[in-house]
Amino acid sequence: MVANINEIQSAAAALLNEGKVKLVLGYRVRGNDRVPAFVTQADQVGCLAYDSACTQNLAAYLRKGEVRSRMPLAVVARPEVMRSLMLLTAESQIAEGQVTVLAVDEQGFHGVLDLAGTAKLLNEQYARIAPDSSLMEQLAKIEAMTPQERSAFWSEQFEPCTRCYACRAACPGCFCERCIVEMNTPQWISTAAESHGNFAWHMIRAFHQAGRCVECGACQDACPQGIPLMLLNHFIAREVEREFDARNGYDPQAEPVIGSWKQDDKQEYIR
Amino acid sequence: MKTLEATKLADLAAALTAAGYRVIAPCQRGDQVHLECYQAGKTLRADVIPVNSAKDALFPRSEVIGRYRFEGNEFETVPVAPQAGKTVLLAVRPCDAAALAPLDAVFNWDYKDEFYNAHRDATTVVALACTAADDQCFCTSVGGSPDSTANADAVLRPADGGKRFILESLTDKGQAIAAAGQAVLTEGQAQADPPAQVAPAFDSAAVTAWAKDGFDSPLWKELSLACMGCGACAYTCPTCHCFDIQDEATRREGVRLRNWDACGFGLFTKHAGGHNPRHDQASRWRQRVMHKFAYFPERFEMLACTGCGRCGRLCGNGMSIREVCSQIEQAAQAGVK
Amino acid sequence: MTQATTQTETKAEGFEPRIVAFVCNWCTYAGADLAGTSRLQYAPHVRIVKLPCTGRIDPLFILKAYEGGADAVLVSGCHPGDCHYTSGNYHARRRWTIFRRLLSLAGVEEGRLFFSWVSAAEGQKFADLINDVTAQVKAAGPFKHNPARRQAW
Ligand code: SF4
Ligand code: SF4
Ligand code: SF4
Repeated sequence: MVANINEIQSAAAALLNEGKVKLVLGYRVRGNDRVPAFVTQADQVGCLAYDSACTQNLAAYLRKGEVRSRMPLAVVARPEVMRSLMLLTAESQIAEGQVTVLAVDEQGFHGVLDLAGTAKLLNEQYARIAPDSSLMEQLAKIEAMTPQERSAFWSEQFEPCTRCYACRAACPGCFCERCIVEMNTPQWISTAAESHGNFAWHMIRAFHQAGRCVECGACQDACPQGIPLMLLNHFIAREVEREFDARNGYDPQAEPVIGSWKQDDKQEYIR
Repeated sequence: MKTLEATKLADLAAALTAAGYRVIAPCQRGDQVHLECYQAGKTLRADVIPVNSAKDALFPRSEVIGRYRFEGNEFETVPVAPQAGKTVLLAVRPCDAAALAPLDAVFNWDYKDEFYNAHRDATTVVALACTAADDQCFCTSVGGSPDSTANADAVLRPADGGKRFILESLTDKGQAIAAAGQAVLTEGQAQADPPAQVAPAFDSAAVTAWAKDGFDSPLWKELSLACMGCGACAYTCPTCHCFDIQDEATRREGVRLRNWDACGFGLFTKHAGGHNPRHDQASRWRQRVMHKFAYFPERFEMLACTGCGRCGRLCGNGMSIREVCSQIEQAAQAGVK
Repeated sequence: MTQATTQTETKAEGFEPRIVAFVCNWCTYAGADLAGTSRLQYAPHVRIVKLPCTGRIDPLFILKAYEGGADAVLVSGCHPGDCHYTSGNYHARRRWTIFRRLLSLAGVEEGRLFFSWVSAAEGQKFADLINDVTAQVKAAGPFKHNPARRQAW
């Protein structure tokens, strides 16, 4: 547990007492797990906890009607979650005044912020969050493979996918009311948990995160089957930065990366 | 008595494979353990409760249940027989074996499901008695026990401090396993290890009683607040059995598929016209609890939860049916409707 | 589904590739038309799917083509600045840039996915393009490791 956990608790209590928020979205401890806590009364804040095991991205709840109806609310947010909040602001899902941030990182609690303050903190303190080095090593290995090997690698990885969509449910960016995988006239992506449906699902899920994924890791954590979704997410984030010089979730006013364009975008591969 | 050295579980799997069985066993996969088809070289792990449940072998996540062809304006259906080869569920936990009772019941209720039954008839269940449980296990709260032999054809009991297993055959199918695995089994004496201690988590009768009149309870909203509406719990649950029928066709031919579906999805009950009788996550989660603890007991006199604890272990949002049932029990005690 | 299988996999010798081309109505399709009316000869392996604009070409279309057994996919539209709808091709270009990299990571290599700009006046460019793409795919052979391929049920 972070050292100043009681500061989070008292900040949450103050927000609730002053009527600034109706709900505090945070984490609580359940055995070895960290699970979400929905605190609506100042006298319940004692359950709030935070440490590095709190990996769920609580910003995902901001699409849920039952949670949205309790706005304004406060969210316990580590840097990646703050980035999700920036993305959701840029994509008009939330607005200033609806969400208050209780900023945390492994060191502890860093204060109560509005969305503008969160943008400032992110860009000053967490401008570059290094991805996990083992992820990059694994990606380098895959990129060094032949196309045949890459194809075989992914079909093995996707094979256990049951299409439970826990990855989608865990992601704050997957807020579409009707996901592409549910479009059935025609059925674009086979709903059978079989090779071609799984391949199409994983390609499209990852692609829909292009310019949007904040690399919080929540999707991979949520996957019961252990599918390495972060390999795809990180790869795409890397390519987006390389090609369009864009880093997702830092600018609450950002134009969508895929969905905007520049006249001089690279096109060396187009004949 | 027949015994098997603990290190020889994979040899038993190999022997059964050689005898023509499709062996579904707990295999290491990355840093997880999955119940999947044993192949030479795979590491078996009897010490971990697998991510997925044994139902996958009897009720596959996608199954072809029909075929058809078009020829000009002609249309013709092609009969499909279930692809059910001789299968053994090797070293599945008593909670997975227990789940066969609700599955048998529902797939033979108003309609005898030829596909499920074909898989079921071709399957031999070799249960593995549990000598350790984790903090999510609650079989004892839903009528099971860590050394239950319900629905098993044979049982492996850890013995001599985990050094070996005792193989007990309970049915003819179980005898056949002992015969097919003879080369790796030894005749000898061993002392069975004590079963795991699984502390009671809640009183399921109290949950069923509360649920009877609990349909309109405002409590569901609070209980389900953390649920994000995915199918992870249903797809790993040993008893969940909902499915969707989908066709996949080209201009010339097509298949009719039965795919898993889950009551947690918003689309599950959505009508073509747009109306959704289960319009929020609270009503979907209510269905999950009601189906297992109210409707199933009412219809089949059994629960549709075996206490395997997978939903509690796997749900990233912390929606454990065990925890929710405990909360319902508390509400019932406090007289909350 | 079986037809695609037999065509691509049993004919490794004298292999006749199946190539799906998604083209826009205003430029590349008109360019193809010009190639035709100019009686330019080009390889017959390309199935053209005409869409209003490259902006309408969802990456799903590309996946669907591979799913159905395409050995390669070609996507082509108006040159930058010439889009009939002003910016459809600029939008499309951003999507392609990322999607082709993703497909490449997944096992669909460069020689299985082609992009081009062909204007309504470029009949010759279209014919040359199709000939070149066809030759490359022929040389590469059937797309046996196609990760998107519809499975045989
Ligand atoms: S990747 Fe994992 S979480 Fe996502 S649908 Fe597949 S099994 Fe479910
Ligand atoms: S796709 Fe990206 S933003 Fe969404 S949950 Fe996964 S890592 Fe987080
Ligand atoms: S996968 Fe795409 S369509 Fe589906 S919810 Fe995510 S962003 Fe939306």
